[in-house]
Amino acid sequence: MPPLEVILQQAFNGLMLGVMYALIAVGFTLFFGVLDVIHFSHGDIFTLGAFAGLSLTFLWGAVGLGNPAVALLLTFLGALLLTGLIGVGAERACVKPLAKAPPLMTLLATLSLGLVIREAILIFYPRGADPKPFPAMLPQGLWEIGGVVIRYENLVILAIGAGAMVLVDLIINRTRVGASMRAVAQDAEAAQMMGVNLNRTVDFTFFLGSALAAVAGILNGLYYSEIHFIMGIMGGVIGFSAAAIGGLGNVYGAILGGLLFGVLQTLAAAFIPRGSEFRDVVAFAVVMVFMVFKPTGILGEKTIERV
Amino acid sequence: MSLFATRGLTVRFGGLTAVDHVDAGVDEGETLGLIGPNGSGKTTFFNAVTGLVPAEGDVAFRGGALRGLEPHAICRRGIARTFQASRLCLGLSVFDNVLIGMHTHVVSGVWDALFRRKRMISEVRDGLKQAAHLLGLFNPDLIDRGFDPVGALPQIDRRRVEICRALAARPRLLLLDEPSAGMNPEETGELMKDLQIVREEMPGLSIIIIEHDMFVIEGVSQRVVAFNYGRKIAEGTFADVARNEEVRDAYLGRGSTPEGAPRA
Amino acid sequence: MGGLIGVWAVELGLFVLVVAALLAERPIAVGLTVAAIALLLVAVQTSVRVWGWMATSFRTHRAAALGGAATLALALPFFLRASPYWTFVATMALLYVTIGQGLNLQMGTAGVINLAGAAFAGLGGYTVGLLTVRLGFAPWLAFAIGPLVAMVVGALLFIPILKVRGHYLALVTIAFGFIFNILMNNLEFTGGPQGIKNIPTLRLFGHAFTTAPTLFGVTLPSHANFYYAALAMAALVTWLAWRLYNSWVGLTLNTLRDDEIAAKCSGVSVTRHKLLAFSIGNLFVGLAGGFYAVMVGFVSPPDFDFGYSLVMLSVIILGGLDSIPGVVLGACLLIPLPERFRMLHEYRLLLYGAAIVLMLLFRPRGLWPAGVRRYGLGRPAGSFGAAGTRAEGVGVSR
Repeated sequence: MPPLEVILQQAFNGLMLGVMYALIAVGFTLFFGVLDVIHFSHGDIFTLGAFAGLSLTFLWGAVGLGNPAVALLLTFLGALLLTGLIGVGAERACVKPLAKAPPLMTLLATLSLGLVIREAILIFYPRGADPKPFPAMLPQGLWEIGGVVIRYENLVILAIGAGAMVLVDLIINRTRVGASMRAVAQDAEAAQMMGVNLNRTVDFTFFLGSALAAVAGILNGLYYSEIHFIMGIMGGVIGFSAAAIGGLGNVYGAILGGLLFGVLQTLAAAFIPRGSEFRDVVAFAVVMVFMVFKPTGILGEKTIERV
Repeated sequence: MSLFATRGLTVRFGGLTAVDHVDAGVDEGETLGLIGPNGSGKTTFFNAVTGLVPAEGDVAFRGGALRGLEPHAICRRGIARTFQASRLCLGLSVFDNVLIGMHTHVVSGVWDALFRRKRMISEVRDGLKQAAHLLGLFNPDLIDRGFDPVGALPQIDRRRVEICRALAARPRLLLLDEPSAGMNPEETGELMKDLQIVREEMPGLSIIIIEHDMFVIEGVSQRVVAFNYGRKIAEGTFADVARNEEVRDAYLGRGSTPEGAPRA
Repeated sequence: MGGLIGVWAVELGLFVLVVAALLAERPIAVGLTVAAIALLLVAVQTSVRVWGWMATSFRTHRAAALGGAATLALALPFFLRASPYWTFVATMALLYVTIGQGLNLQMGTAGVINLAGAAFAGLGGYTVGLLTVRLGFAPWLAFAIGPLVAMVVGALLFIPILKVRGHYLALVTIAFGFIFNILMNNLEFTGGPQGIKNIPTLRLFGHAFTTAPTLFGVTLPSHANFYYAALAMAALVTWLAWRLYNSWVGLTLNTLRDDEIAAKCSGVSVTRHKLLAFSIGNLFVGLAGGFYAVMVGFVSPPDFDFGYSLVMLSVIILGGLDSIPGVVLGACLLIPLPERFRMLHEYRLLLYGAAIVLMLLFRPRGLWPAGVRRYGLGRPAGSFGAAGTRAEGVGVSR
């Protein structure tokens, strides 16, 4: 049994990971909730967000943008916009045309699109095979509370992640387009008859989900100080797992699932001998057990299946 | 002696009671019409009987209880059905769609498929003969189109294939869920003829039919049960039920003139 | 009679072009031969008349077509004898035929998603490696046990979740693939990242598969042993897959895939049949994995990572989901092509991914779409009328 401060430290680290996972998971859950599809290239959209952010930081450096706070803000905004639009492109290319085909087709198409995105980054990004250092853009320094180290930058990461989630909640529950999303999620046909523009709502959903993945991607870069073209595979699988644990189609479930998955991973790393190697095994094993005993997740899947 | 009877059959979806303590039954060789407004629980009743949704209460069939059995086991006992929105495999051939109905009677398995081909093939030949016979009852053209995908057929023929699939299971009880859905009056007329053919070919078969078209109900059923809000509100001959006040209210609201409602 | 000669001419022509493409040294010759093959494919794909002629000729002369193809496949190593490398690539293509038939049974026929094909192949491969190297089992015995392990592990893992909806199965199989890879990378007894080396080769009647065989006075590269063994294995598995497809079992699995509720209400036990398809599929995949282990004499985690699961997927989608000849075509196209164009090698996965997306969007039934099931009855006779000649091939969409 490790000492208490190690557990607390790991739980805090888990929370950090969890926030990033939750941001990816919310995308999965939004797509599923609104359109009933699993967008398997979402993990690679997350990678794309990180690379978009990285490229923008180079751009700010090149144009001589001095103020770090402004540079950070612009990095986020630019990456969000770019990644969101690419997400919409992915939906137009691989999801909408297959809306009437068996679900297997959408699954395979988005999975392959993810492969294309991944390989494209590898091949076309300069020296894409290497891990890319991500610049530190957040205030440095740390607090120590009872043996637990809390870095300022980690707090900022948490704050940005939490802020993004609150924003999503507000968009879904307080705006017109959010109301359209909820209506389409309930019954696309009825929503259309009530005057909801289906295409625009779906496009917006993919924009929002993909933009969140970009937030997660940049936070991931800031946290680990490096990004890699391959990170989307794990990111995607974990994000999907988190959404499934929480209950697909339920935004709060996705957040809960993401945090749970992060904490689970770090605690597994702390408690199990050679845990850092086997932490994913433990986490995935838990996912599989979940699928057996509670396939609808903690908060329940949205199920509309007509007989 | 009743072949099939439910006692207190109840289906709840959350707070909604879709089927509410229904007692209904059918005798051997009888056709029972099941009517009621949209959302009155008719299809849910079928789904409960065939094991697709969990239900409370008892279902007795041929002297045994069906409650808690899985859909495939219920089919094995001798209940076959069709669906309101037809559930055929559109990419598979007409013959394939009928042959799958014989699933419960097929003896040859994986081993026969791989290494005892003769037995498997002879069973397929028999199956194809039966399928051709069933299809021929309704429309001989369907036999010639037996190796065409079902998706290439018009609506009425698809409906026929679906009925053939159900009949191929050689059931004792056939559940037809609004067979005339999506058909024009002419096609509905043809469908009624088809149902007469089934009646003549299989006199021992019991049928429960959900229909909105009252001509069909009047034409094919010996007895009628009416549902409203998941409850059985009337039972009797077509004329009795059509005269029933509660039934007329259910369809029309109190005090209006009947049109499209059961006519006496 | 014209049909018969036509069938053989098509097969021989394709064979000559393929061998020429593989052995050509000057870039222009490679380009020309590959372009000719591509042109042939496009012609078959776009012209309804060409397709119709091919379909009827090959159907009426099925035995002759199969005989011709078998003869050419047997003769291939003689033409490639100058190049052990190409013999090896051809063998890999045959392994992918075997794997493809397994995955196709699962995903194409039964609609049971399996995104861990590489992991199940790895189970077969690692079992063979561990049993022979660590426990001293005879190679043939280990080779027989490997696929059984893949089948049993698959079944044990998936019995509880076969009832869940498709996308969860996708998630669980991906997760399983990762778990397998992490475990192989980190466990002591599997050799960690180094894997298992020195897996003994197979021997048949005292002839080791690593010694160069001499057939009809011609000495072939030692890889030809594995080529012939893989050919026998791929042919056997394809034959079994064809028999399953053309039977009540294939029909039941197809119905399950298209409409689970209708299948249930027709008396089909969903769990049992999904498990059946999943198990037989993994048996085939594990068989190819075990073969790979004895062929290269060495297994390690990167041989079975997620990327290969996607390659396996590309094979069956390109050929045509649910199509048994499609699997053969897909594997024979997709595996050698990037080897021929080394400059494409870097772009290999990118192109595979793009190819699947384009296929799914514009030709979802693949290059060689599955036909109507005929249960091996040949031409439908007598009371079943002239049916079947009309609905062939390209015109019919789902």
